[in-house]
Amino acid sequence: MGALPGQSSRPTGVFDPHHPPDQALINACVHCGFCLPTCPTYRLWGQEMDSPRGRIYLMKLGLQGEIAIDATVTEHFDACLGCVACVTACPSGVQYGALIEATRTQLERIRKRRLGDRAFRGMLLRLFPYPRRLRVAAVAAWTYQQLRIGRLLRGTGLFRHLPDKVRALEELLPTVHFRDLRGRITTSEPAAGSAGMRVGMVTGCIQAVFFAGVNRATARVLAAEGCEVVIPRGQGCCGAISSHAGDEAGALAQARRMIATFEEAAVERVVINAAGCGAALKDYGHLLRDDPDWAERAASFSAKVSDITEFLDELPAHAPRHSIAARAVYADACHLAHAQGIRSQPRRQLRAIPGLTVADIADTEICCGSAGTYNLVRTEAAEELGRRKVAEILHAAPDVIVTANPGCALQIKRHLPPGRSPIPVLHPVELIDASIRGVDPFLTG
Amino acid sequence: MILDAGPAPATVRPTSLAEAREAVAREGALLFRGGGTKLDWGSTPTRVDRVVDTTGLSGIREWNAADMTAVVRAGTSLARLQAELAAARQWLAVDPALGPGEAATLGGVFAADDGGPRRLRFGSIRNLVIGLVFVLSDGTVARCGGRVIKNVAGYDVAKLFCGSLGTLGLIAEITVRLHPLPESGVTVRIDAPAEGASALLPEILAAPLEPVALDWAEDALWIRFQGRAAGVEAQAAVVRDLAHNRGLAVEELQGTTEADRWSSLVAGLAGQPGETVVRGSTVPDQFGSAVEALRRAAEDAGVRATMHSHAGLGLHTARLSGGDALAHAAAVADWRRRLANLGGHAVVRRRLPGVEAAVSVFGPDPSGIDVMRRLKALFDPAGRCAPGRFVGGI
Amino acid sequence: MIDRRLQDDLVDILGPGGVWSHPADRRTYECDGLTTQRVMPGLVVLPRTTEEVVAVVRACAAAGVPIVPRGAGSGLSAGALPQAEGVLIGLARMRDICAVDPANRQMTVQAGVTTAEVNRAAAPFGLYYAPDPSSGIVCTLGGNVAENSGGAHCLKYGFTSNHVLALEVVLADGEVVRLGSAAPDLPGYDLRGAFVGSEGTMGIVTEVTVRLLRRPEAVRTLVADFESPSAAGAAVSGLVAAGIVPAAVEMIDNLAIQACEDAVGAGFSRSAGAVLIVELDGVPGDVEAEFAAAGAICVDAGSTHIRVAADAEERALIWAGRKAAFAAIGRLSPNYVVQDGVIPRGRLPEVLDSIGRRSREAGMRVANVFHAGDGNLHPLVLYDGSREGEQERALRLSIDIIELCVEYGGSISGEHGIGLEKACSMSRMFSQDDLEVMQRVRRAFDPAGRCNPGKIFPTPGLCGERSYRAGPLESADGDAQP
Repeated sequence: MGALPGQSSRPTGVFDPHHPPDQALINACVHCGFCLPTCPTYRLWGQEMDSPRGRIYLMKLGLQGEIAIDATVTEHFDACLGCVACVTACPSGVQYGALIEATRTQLERIRKRRLGDRAFRGMLLRLFPYPRRLRVAAVAAWTYQQLRIGRLLRGTGLFRHLPDKVRALEELLPTVHFRDLRGRITTSEPAAGSAGMRVGMVTGCIQAVFFAGVNRATARVLAAEGCEVVIPRGQGCCGAISSHAGDEAGALAQARRMIATFEEAAVERVVINAAGCGAALKDYGHLLRDDPDWAERAASFSAKVSDITEFLDELPAHAPRHSIAARAVYADACHLAHAQGIRSQPRRQLRAIPGLTVADIADTEICCGSAGTYNLVRTEAAEELGRRKVAEILHAAPDVIVTANPGCALQIKRHLPPGRSPIPVLHPVELIDASIRGVDPFLTG
Repeated sequence: MILDAGPAPATVRPTSLAEAREAVAREGALLFRGGGTKLDWGSTPTRVDRVVDTTGLSGIREWNAADMTAVVRAGTSLARLQAELAAARQWLAVDPALGPGEAATLGGVFAADDGGPRRLRFGSIRNLVIGLVFVLSDGTVARCGGRVIKNVAGYDVAKLFCGSLGTLGLIAEITVRLHPLPESGVTVRIDAPAEGASALLPEILAAPLEPVALDWAEDALWIRFQGRAAGVEAQAAVVRDLAHNRGLAVEELQGTTEADRWSSLVAGLAGQPGETVVRGSTVPDQFGSAVEALRRAAEDAGVRATMHSHAGLGLHTARLSGGDALAHAAAVADWRRRLANLGGHAVVRRRLPGVEAAVSVFGPDPSGIDVMRRLKALFDPAGRCAPGRFVGGI
Repeated sequence: MIDRRLQDDLVDILGPGGVWSHPADRRTYECDGLTTQRVMPGLVVLPRTTEEVVAVVRACAAAGVPIVPRGAGSGLSAGALPQAEGVLIGLARMRDICAVDPANRQMTVQAGVTTAEVNRAAAPFGLYYAPDPSSGIVCTLGGNVAENSGGAHCLKYGFTSNHVLALEVVLADGEVVRLGSAAPDLPGYDLRGAFVGSEGTMGIVTEVTVRLLRRPEAVRTLVADFESPSAAGAAVSGLVAAGIVPAAVEMIDNLAIQACEDAVGAGFSRSAGAVLIVELDGVPGDVEAEFAAAGAICVDAGSTHIRVAADAEERALIWAGRKAAFAAIGRLSPNYVVQDGVIPRGRLPEVLDSIGRRSREAGMRVANVFHAGDGNLHPLVLYDGSREGEQERALRLSIDIIELCVEYGGSISGEHGIGLEKACSMSRMFSQDDLEVMQRVRRAFDPAGRCNPGKIFPTPGLCGERSYRAGPLESADGDAQP
């Protein structure tokens, strides 16, 4: 009897036979080390076992059954941010992203985590992928902020005594706007006289609840560029968080739901404005490869997905842009630059705004430390990376900081120096939207 | 110099590697002599029983012009070597003083790590040597390196022999890397006493120029360019402009005039009998301070001093004259002290008799002196190769 | 395993975060860029300062335990292969830029700083560090010093040795010495010169002072297609004969081109038998004249197409393609061995023929990447490790090739070092006396032989009985060359 789909027929060492890290992918690594300087954890700690090369080596040893997946080894895998900057740097084409995801999924099955750990991860997995629940949490957050409880905690010195992860959560929390708690984005009419490509929009979870402005801007821009914008209800979450946390069942369920929703909406293209989600959506074909009922549908869905800047960059013509006189510093989001290879499109679209200077930062390929929920579960490393990223950004003297992922935006905001008027952090589409409408992007809340 | 005092030691002149081995392996304290132009460098050896004259080990053994390498016996005079290489428009990129009768040999230049102004562009001779055959006092005959320029097999033992002043063993054969002779050249000479030169130097260094030499001597800056005609002319023009902007007089030298002027300048680096020659070293941007330090030291000691500096490198050759040995020694010690404050050092070359007794030739022992002593003990266990001639009394 | 007491001492010195004893952790250090040799170290330590290195070395010396230094572990000759009963000292955490002196064009850095980082720090001053090993993005200065690393531009600018002014070294007994100095010509034996290229067998580099150069005013790069490596080789000879000294001349053969294009897509012609990358830099007038001449020489030698890099971006892409060559070969073949031999430039066609013949006889494909300007070959022997005996045959073929280089008057290593991989081949190139003298140098630095033992020099245990090359006296008039 042969192996089932997803079951390895080779010996898998300490991993179980269901999708262990792929030996062929591991063999592609020639141990050259080109990935080391680009890995955030190697940059921080300078140790081989917390570098892509080292982690691949541990996977290899695991497959060979030569090491146990104990706490030490698990720690190295957990410490990986999943930023896949190493994939960009690797001359041999090693698909590290697939390897670490397979490994993390295995770890969820093999390892028993500490109670506190499990509780926190469980909370994240039960909250973030569910926009409705997130909205409820947002109401709580809004209340928290309105009642200035944070100030009270800090003033009384209680804040310091909160657990690390809770503190991190609190510090990352953006200002919640009341109107964002209620509103759905209405689908807009295409501009008069246009051909009207039917484009579906993924609204995301964090994006929808905490950065609804970005979604509104996205819808407006698509409409201005002549698209019929469709925002299907009940699309749910893209599943990236579950996927990266190794919750395979959760990720699959969320993917199926997303695909089904958009199939029903019968759109020609699917547009997403969050880098992390975009990478996950484009990976559905791979995620659902074992499921004969969904494999083709997933691949077909993924083929329709574009990041908003990618989509705009492909359009043959654009609505006129009005001037925004400002110096924009663009910070690449890892899941846009590394995972999707999208670097030039956002820069081109920003440069198409008259009056806007677009500057890059040093070390742009190094992760800011947000990495999904990384900055909630591994606070120390994330904080250091966040500080470094903001230092590089400030060094470039921005009037406005532009980044294409909500997680990155939260992380950057958190580490900007406190002050009266902090430098605005915007999504590229917010600037483009303001440019099309001829409004000042820095006046909106 | 030691050879002047007392009866002359026996001289032997091997003409083959086997003879050289025999000459070296026989007991007694040895002094190796090529052209005899730098025998007074380093401390005076404590004992010399036999002089080994290397001029019998002479000639190009193998010349791979296509590869631009040559295997040359160490006793070959540098002048003769360059003349032969010139036939194929190649040269060994070192231009040291050749001494009386142009007798300096390749081996001697290498053993003394001597060089000239064009070291700025081509590096010292240690960068041009890719292989060596040598004879140790215990009779070992060995080689290091090879015949190709790029080679990391084994240790770079040749580096240890460079500048070793014959204290590690006899250098019998040297494989060198060659360069093409330049098509064209020009030297721009700018009238600039020390202060003016100091001010102009950073500008020249910052300019988009690639001089082969950048020296200061006879109260003038000498900037030499070599290469294709177009490039050389363009660079000379840049320097002329820089000089004119500061109102400094400029002279351009080419052809044999240029060659002769450089010859005479370089010959001056060796000094004259009756002088004490000191080689000071600093980082290049301390040039002005080095000149001033020499002026002060000489003044305080009551001696005259001139300086010829490879300003682009930070190598400053001082010639002391007038006064007696003690005055010279005082000037040396003072200059050395001031250079040390700048992070530099000074080494005495030729000197008046009596200077050596009053001031150290090499200065304080360098870091790693213990390793150097162990090295000497391993290469020359009986301590017969120019004993006492080197740093730290090695 | 390492003695418990030594381990505790090391934890006292470095803190628990600096000492790694868990077997899985130690195994990630068991090889460097050469994966065919693996030894699990007894212990791994990661110091951050010279003081910590000294304390570690002293503790190991007191315990009589060998030490092996390691930079980024990107070396290709197993130079950083650990000792099973030894302590591996990783320098990767020593990443400070200590001082930059733009006026004197010098920079001092800790040994764990990468080549790329040195260039990054020099760039704001319009300066750069000339030696450019292809792994420059990851390889450390300490490692470069150990191997005397070269790179494509060493043809004109020289190797690491030509650009290292001073070293801070911790000797195997814990003594700290400064070799060389910022001011030139420090009195004494040139220990700095001997140390560079000593592959970690003389001590541990903790700080390096390097020479920086001003960026050349003009740079021009071309890629010339040829029908065969021989034709390309003829072009190289033509350049030399014309008195042109390019900054770099690189050759990539057809098989390697496929890999480069798969990895980087630099635009090399996939149908060319070989391509030649020629780069000239210097003073604008000279560069223009020589560049035109170089193009003409290539055409005369039979180049079928010449592409001139239009701007810095295109030049960077061309070099990215070339520098990815080794690792990119992994796309063509499950496994490969990269070798590093040198031959006199003029004998390239003959040597290539020989390599071709031997690879056919062995039934294995060999891709070739050369530093054509200085005769440094990098044959890459492709094989499939999962097939019985193939790895062994590939390794043997690669050793055959470099020993062949010696027969043609060349060397068994141009820049990767001897390490463990080629120790046995040293007897082809050197006589017993030659090697014995080198061992004396090593003993001067490390009398107890504790620093990276077992590297470079052949031993009967490792190599069995070998015949050595004849010494200068034994061969006709001092040499045994054909």
